[in-house]
Amino acid sequence: MENFTALFGAQADPPPPPTALGFGPGKPPPPPPPPPGGGPGTAPPPTAATAPPGADKSGAGCGPFYLMRELPGSTELTGSTNLITHYNLEQAYNKFCGKKVKEKLSNFLPDLPGMIDLPGSHDNSSLRSLIEKPPILSSSFNPITGTMLAGFRLHTGPLPEQCRLMHIQPPKKKNKHKHKQSRTQDPVPPETPSDSDHKKKKKKKEEDPERKRKKKEKKKKKNRHSPDHPGMGSSQASSSSSLR
Amino acid sequence: MAEKFDHLEEHLEKFVENIRQLGIIVSDFQPSSQAGLNQKLNFIVTGLQDIDKCRQQLHDITVPLEVFEYIDQGRNPQLYTKECLERALAKNEQVKGKIDTMKKFKSLLIQELSKVFPEDMAKYRSIRGEDHLPS
Repeated sequence: MENFTALFGAQADPPPPPTALGFGPGKPPPPPPPPPGGGPGTAPPPTAATAPPGADKSGAGCGPFYLMRELPGSTELTGSTNLITHYNLEQAYNKFCGKKVKEKLSNFLPDLPGMIDLPGSHDNSSLRSLIEKPPILSSSFNPITGTMLAGFRLHTGPLPEQCRLMHIQPPKKKNKHKHKQSRTQDPVPPETPSDSDHKKKKKKKEEDPERKRKKKEKKKKKNRHSPDHPGMGSSQASSSSSLR
Repeated sequence: MAEKFDHLEEHLEKFVENIRQLGIIVSDFQPSSQAGLNQKLNFIVTGLQDIDKCRQQLHDITVPLEVFEYIDQGRNPQLYTKECLERALAKNEQVKGKIDTMKKFKSLLIQELSKVFPEDMAKYRSIRGEDHLPS
């Protein structure tokens, strides 16, 4: 057991080079004398000279060894090689694992209309159900003829709100997409700020004539209270005279 | 290889666009838009025919079923690729660790056995071939 503990203790260190393992040019050391105690680790049973009946056939010509098999070829591809580099997938690895991949399906298919982030089981549109219960189809797609098209006459007018699934878009957070949003059919949101601005301007415009009137009235009052005011211009005097 | 997918992608995009336009026509239907509706319906039929034709070029493509689960849950299918690559690398590292440990064990075992059974190990080495050294 001591030998084993020493063996596994040495395992933590880097493995010694092959030449140090007794495979070098030097001969192996002479056999040590049998230990007096004869512990379990130091007195192994003698190697079998003949193969037992159940032994592997490949080991038949292997001298004192039985259950000896061919070693796997060194060219065989195993997990000891980096399989991602072996199959030239580094680029894909860096692409997908180097940065954060966005969670939602709409990030993968940004141009697809409709609310695609909802689970398919909600509206029975899952791909799994398409595989499990494939729809019954004819062998080919045929164009819709005149008589068949008569079945597609619809009522005039807009659809009720709850049926307008095509218009619902997943919310986009970043400002980068603002331009795109205005292109899609979102009528209300981009208009709201401009509307409020317009109202403010209108208010200002509405207020302006009132202010002017008030100012005029103030000036008139001043003129009445101080008719001999030195700062009074000739134009005002003329206007007052014309009023009279 | 990529051309096949580009072809299919192009047809799918056209088809989706046609469906979108059809949705717009239908969402506020006017009697004057009946001709447009009929045209769009036939575009959809031809679109389906085009997509069906692409099937012949893609019969050798296999898609893992797990990807459909991601799409059905409204998740980005690239997450599946990412998780696959991460799992593969983790498993690769695990197996490499096991192989390295077994190699270390083999070399140390041979070293120790050579001390105790030098003659037998010499025979063993001659059977294995002198050049076949444990790494």
